[in-house]
Amino acid sequence: MATPDPDTNAPSAITYVVVWVVLIVLATASLLLSDVVVGGSGLALSLVIATLKAGLVAAFFMHLAHGRAAHRMAFAAAIAFLLLLVLGVIADVGTRSIASVYVDDVGN
Amino acid sequence: MKLEVQYDSLARQHATARLGMWVFLASESLLFAALFALYAAYRFIYPAEFHAAAAHANVLLGTINTYLLLTSSLTVALSIHETKHGRRRRALVLLAITIGLGVTFEVLKLVEYGLHLRDGIAPGGYYSFSELPAHGAVLYFTLYYLMTGLHALHVLGGLAALAWLWLRLYRGRITSESYLALELGGLYWHLVDLVWIFLWPLIYLVK
Repeated sequence: MATPDPDTNAPSAITYVVVWVVLIVLATASLLLSDVVVGGSGLALSLVIATLKAGLVAAFFMHLAHGRAAHRMAFAAAIAFLLLLVLGVIADVGTRSIASVYVDDVGN
Repeated sequence: MKLEVQYDSLARQHATARLGMWVFLASESLLFAALFALYAAYRFIYPAEFHAAAAHANVLLGTINTYLLLTSSLTVALSIHETKHGRRRRALVLLAITIGLGVTFEVLKLVEYGLHLRDGIAPGGYYSFSELPAHGAVLYFTLYYLMTGLHALHVLGGLAALAWLWLRLYRGRITSESYLALELGGLYWHLVDLVWIFLWPLIYLVK
């Protein structure tokens, strides 16, 4: 029995190449912008670009855009938990000075 | 490919395998999530030290590696595409290029570690970089070794899988009719790329 093709509307070779070109352009933009936008906003900008790149890889190379919804759900859950963890940690260290009445070591 | 007893068709069996792979990739993401959270905490506590330390990161090697991995994601995707359409020879070449790019990534990573270690930039208590003795800088570089090291191990695992897949494709065990293993191997390789997409700005582009 033949392996059924799960993604009859899988991206074409041209689509893959176009996505790769966009990825390279975004990476180069991120590199060049890192000299212009520095500090906290530079970090934020580079993470926004990274998220765009990751979105392209997941959507096209990993077939998330046209694959099964169950795949999107599994991955979305991981991203949601990742954000919960990272934001929770930032919320903790970011508010330690306010809560220093209760916490001896504020981490400085 | 053999149909297992619990499935009524290969289509269902493969759908389960794909979902299983995605659940595995989700758990892999959470493994790295812990390190990203650690990075966020220390970057928040030591912003100035992190920026001073990042000035000593090897941006050239890190950036070359970014381009290598992005390109390897394209070649593995194209290799699967060619396999699907029965163009085995082209698929083999594309998969070999992917492996070559991955090996180059690892070699450059080792060169980068070597250059840092020569300067005394070692993880944790072994750190002896006199130019930058700050506590926050030690944490930045320890996280650098931990995050890129764990990632490099994933690249190594991915390379082993891709090499095995190349052999199966070469021997005609993977065909345009049956290529699930190659598809799953490709997914893993893309995840390794995804992690690096975030490691690169966090480690090399902090200015």
